[in-house]
Amino acid sequence: MTDCGCDKAKAELEEYLHNELAKDDAADIAEHIATCRDCSGEAHVGEVLTHAVQRACKETAPEDLRAQVLLKIREVQATH
Amino acid sequence: MLSRKTPLTTLLDSPTRPGAVVARRWELNLAAMTNSTENTPTPEQDAGKTDVRHLFEEQAIPFMDQLYAAGLRMTRNPADAADLVQETFVKAFAAFGQFQQGTNLKAWLYRILTNTFINNYRKNQRNPYQGTIDELEDWQLGNAESVTQGRSTRSAEAEAIDHLPDSAVKDALQAIPEDFRMAVYFADVEGFSYQEIADIMKTPVGTVMSRLHRGRRLLRDLLSDYAEDRGIPTANARSTK
Repeated sequence: MTDCGCDKAKAELEEYLHNELAKDDAADIAEHIATCRDCSGEAHVGEVLTHAVQRACKETAPEDLRAQVLLKIREVQATH
Repeated sequence: MLSRKTPLTTLLDSPTRPGAVVARRWELNLAAMTNSTENTPTPEQDAGKTDVRHLFEEQAIPFMDQLYAAGLRMTRNPADAADLVQETFVKAFAAFGQFQQGTNLKAWLYRILTNTFINNYRKNQRNPYQGTIDELEDWQLGNAESVTQGRSTRSAEAEAIDHLPDSAVKDALQAIPEDFRMAVYFADVEGFSYQEIADIMKTPVGTVMSRLHRGRRLLRDLLSDYAEDRGIPTANARSTK
């Protein structure tokens, strides 16, 4: 297989998606993705996966937990 | 290859400048207390204590929803998650004097949360993967790349994952090994850098990368399977659109 940039893009896609690549490397990957259907599809799945996890993990702490924590902190402070 | 990102000096939503002033005043009061031989606090010392509590309430407490969400992913049930978060805040408050204003408070709180979880909860849970998970080979975890490629186009797969209910995503997260799950959570939900995750999980950056990448691979396969099992088309050929 000749390397048209896919090998590098696939190997570094996760780092690319998580903003862990140095500028030049990130630019290389972005350039390749813009012209490669296969790799842009892979990148898109990766992004969708991140969004799905973000959506699913939104939580609100129970109201009484906040009150309990504030009370506990006062207790701790009183004994120090 | 990897750029070591400069650690974010501050991720605080609340203004840090007035806080820093209060903290400095507190340090002075602390010094006064340690040097002092008398046991009864002066009114000034009491005022310093109140300042620190206000500072903590203003800066740390707003992270409660996020810490609770992480706690839920760790403990897998609301009661334990609430206990874990409460204990985390109590410990954080007790150690707040050691926190350096201007550094990353969110990462600091997550470090305490993770430590507390490992010490108090993990040993009570039966986790067959514990201790060996990082050594497992990809084939043992079911590297399904070839399967995925064969059964669907990527755009259809993305579309299917995008439309899954949150409950399916949560179930899939719970199904993958804990260290993988938390690496995914820290990176994808909290947006921590690999280096910050390494600090929180106390592992080398290479281990973080491996956990994160394999965790996401497992998650993707589980979600694609889920979509297929429920007849959500993941292949263009079967799509009615």
